[in-house]
Amino acid sequence: MATGVVTITDDRSRAFLSGRILEKDDTYILNYAAKHLARTNNDRRHDYGQYGSADPRATICEAWRFPIIDGHYNEIDETEAYHWNEVTFIYRAPQDRPAPDEVAVIGTFAPIYTALPMRRVADTPYFTVTALVPKGEVHTYKYKVDGEFQLDPINPQQTTLDNGAVWSRFFTQGCTQRLSFERWEMDILTRLTDHILPFRTEEGQRFLQQYYESLDRQTKEQRYPGAYRFDESVGVANFIDKLVAREENHHLIDYKICLGEIKSLFRRRNPFVEPHQVPREMYVELYDQMASGNVPGWNYQAYNNPRYFLQLLRRHTITGAFAHPKYGGNAGASGWAYLSERYKDAANPTLFDWRRVLERPLGLDPIYRG
Amino acid sequence: MENQFDVVIIGSGAGGAPIANVLARQGKSVLVLEKGPLFRTQEDTKGLSDFKRDELMATGGEKRIRVNDVANWGESYYSSHVEPDLNDEPHVYRDFDGRDRATIEGYTAQCVGGGTQLYGAVSLRFAPDDFRLKTLNESRNDIRNDPNEDVKREARDWPISYEDLEPYYTIAEQMIGINGTRQNQLKPASQDFYQKPLPPNPISRFVEIGMDALGMKRYRTPVAVITEDHPPSGRKYPGGDAAKTGYVNRYGCPLGLKSNTWVALLRPVSNLPNFELRPNCTVTHLGMDGGGAVRHVHYRDAGGTEGTVEGKIIVVACSAIESVRLLMLSAIRDGEFARRIYQNDLLGKYFLTHCFGGAEAIMPGRFDKSISMDSDWATDFCARREFLQEEGLWAGGAIYNNTSDQCLPISLARTHGSQDIDTIWKSFVEDTSLTGDRLAAFLDENFGTRLSVSFMANQVPLKTNRIELHPTIRDKWGLPSAYIIKTWHPHDRYLMDVFAEQCAQILRFGGDGGKGQYPVYEKGGLYQAENGLARIANHVLGGARFGTDRSDSVLDPQCRAWEFDNLYVTDGSFMPTSGGANPTLTIQANSFRVADILLQRL
Repeated sequence: MATGVVTITDDRSRAFLSGRILEKDDTYILNYAAKHLARTNNDRRHDYGQYGSADPRATICEAWRFPIIDGHYNEIDETEAYHWNEVTFIYRAPQDRPAPDEVAVIGTFAPIYTALPMRRVADTPYFTVTALVPKGEVHTYKYKVDGEFQLDPINPQQTTLDNGAVWSRFFTQGCTQRLSFERWEMDILTRLTDHILPFRTEEGQRFLQQYYESLDRQTKEQRYPGAYRFDESVGVANFIDKLVAREENHHLIDYKICLGEIKSLFRRRNPFVEPHQVPREMYVELYDQMASGNVPGWNYQAYNNPRYFLQLLRRHTITGAFAHPKYGGNAGASGWAYLSERYKDAANPTLFDWRRVLERPLGLDPIYRG
Repeated sequence: MENQFDVVIIGSGAGGAPIANVLARQGKSVLVLEKGPLFRTQEDTKGLSDFKRDELMATGGEKRIRVNDVANWGESYYSSHVEPDLNDEPHVYRDFDGRDRATIEGYTAQCVGGGTQLYGAVSLRFAPDDFRLKTLNESRNDIRNDPNEDVKREARDWPISYEDLEPYYTIAEQMIGINGTRQNQLKPASQDFYQKPLPPNPISRFVEIGMDALGMKRYRTPVAVITEDHPPSGRKYPGGDAAKTGYVNRYGCPLGLKSNTWVALLRPVSNLPNFELRPNCTVTHLGMDGGGAVRHVHYRDAGGTEGTVEGKIIVVACSAIESVRLLMLSAIRDGEFARRIYQNDLLGKYFLTHCFGGAEAIMPGRFDKSISMDSDWATDFCARREFLQEEGLWAGGAIYNNTSDQCLPISLARTHGSQDIDTIWKSFVEDTSLTGDRLAAFLDENFGTRLSVSFMANQVPLKTNRIELHPTIRDKWGLPSAYIIKTWHPHDRYLMDVFAEQCAQILRFGGDGGKGQYPVYEKGGLYQAENGLARIANHVLGGARFGTDRSDSVLDPQCRAWEFDNLYVTDGSFMPTSGGANPTLTIQANSFRVADILLQRL
């Protein structure tokens, strides 16, 4: 399942290290468990439309945070450590039966499906283990509770394999594998986000080209693990693909319906060209119509407020363009670089010195580690 | 696990941590119970901090209000990773239209260190007159916009004076770690423990010019961020501009340079055998023993398991709204507790926030605002008695500039046109004309150009402004949520207009080299905000005020609940008036004062 992204780490040593168990103290585990999992009120207050009516996750706050994906630091080599995430699994024993004796996690991130035993946090219902996993990857896993395999009852992300089996899923930072959208959906989405951002203006385009070309291969790999697709502008569509796979999964449905609507609209408006290849003017026209709320030919039965979708897209687009690259957008920090190149004066080489306080190797801060 | 302590302190922020620090150092057995997590610095973990320089940690993904019985059910909200989840722990207020709404405002932060982890760290003292507003106003007849003379009737002197608190301000400033300058403050200091401020951000030059042109004596805003090594807490300063990051207000500091109460006060005692901190433990109620003392503290741990500890002394310091709520929840469970805490009808009454607002302008030139602290310059010009008399105001306040706000690209977009965290993103998403070239023009105009000047001033205390338990809405433990009912007095509105105009003047005079014609982008007080009732600037104060008259206060001058021998309340709820400055330093100073009192009896 690994995406096979090639970075500076040798593939064999990477395979060897992936799934290596790290020790995290109880406080780290309980910091997440207390806020998100501990409760007695079982109102379904965390269902924004992303859950089925019987899904117990609706009672859990931000269930998407599990397993916890965090940065890594190995006290030896920051640049090497920067290519890894620490993935912390937390299993909560059900309260209505005796606690299990053995809990383990098995998944594609560990060597040949080795079950990693999970330790119980003293005096709590929580079992946990933390594993080292490279950035930029997607993995599937299951828990093994007293010998029985089961899906993660907390993490909402699941995937159906080719053989029909359902597994729990997580992805690490800087992931570029498509999780939510089809290829054609990504293509339309890229056109739409391009229209919102300043990067596809003539000037922005020139900047991006120069910026990408100015970075050598090693710089790209060191600073931006996860091997962003540098041929595409700023990676906002990728950011949204990940956002609706996890934090804002409740908005996946908005994209699915509206991208489908847009595709069929363009097909009708211009039957001879693929929807993602229609001229810019058609995207501009559509954008303006959506902004007005009045889109001729739009199926209002399927989605009654195209302006709402546009607003959603605006928030996601600007966030993706300027959020930390680990979220999958702002590819190669090109959003930040755009600002730092654009804003300078005679006395200052830049008026947005974003690298100064960010972690190495992405940034230049001598102390802060991301 | 130990379950008996000399002192059990509920809350690890500005109200609780000073007491824990002093008593632990003096060998008393101390337990701090904190509802939120213990987020650590890089130094704590020898690895990564739980705080990151990452805009999406300050304002995360969209969530939706799913609390039954509120009018804003279904609306979006965005919270920091440190704020409690609004659906799990609703704060509900009654809006202008009489309907209830949930709000993210008023939460401060829920973690070890409380609000001091996320705050901008402006650490001003209150002015001497803030402590005697009854005396100052009782013979006046020039107070404007006060037709019913509420101000005269409701103003209160504190039971302690500035002079009483001054030694403890000094201790707080020394122990916390604050940089700033003293000269030109209207707040006399017996000793000066300020660290040297770093050079201001160049954009703050306009504030210097404006304040000077208007004759407003200025000083470098005291900010609780270290700029030198800090021996009392054992922190080292890395040197240079390390403390100026732009990831300031609403961000925890991964390096521990911001002087939150964890790194400044609790971590230094955390290895003492007589000190214990239990994070991730939510106190649900207090219980009496047979002898008329509060003894038992009942809580839920991180697994949801119920636990009980005992203390000879119980200190409640979990922020004004939550402290009042905890006392009320305890009263529901225990009739004797109820009889004593309701010896009058004042618990939850006289809830206070601040009159808060300011002005903003787009300045000539562009500046890298991401190399900044939260504020550079402050003035006490509007705390002078002459100013109050000229303007017919009952109380003064502080004015300072905000340097770091909107210094990062996402925060610029999401706060575009919005005035608070309830309406974040709204304008940007609705302004659909901002695309392509026009979005570039928006960035050209606003990125690194905007400068705001804010005020923080006293709010008129009103008995009808209050905290209750909500009749139907419950939190994730099934306990009644807090219910905020408040309004602005006409004099508050007037005061905010006057102060906002002063802020605007600074920008007008600062922007054009002292001529006073520079255009100001917007100005106002928060009463004008769309949700102006919810807006409480996260300064939640009052509700259990202290005083010398037991019929007129909830706490005695020692911050001990009347009718109780061993129950103390030391967060901002003790304040009878909200003070003309950000409240944290005063809460900390008062807690150092109460710590001395507790030492004498333990």
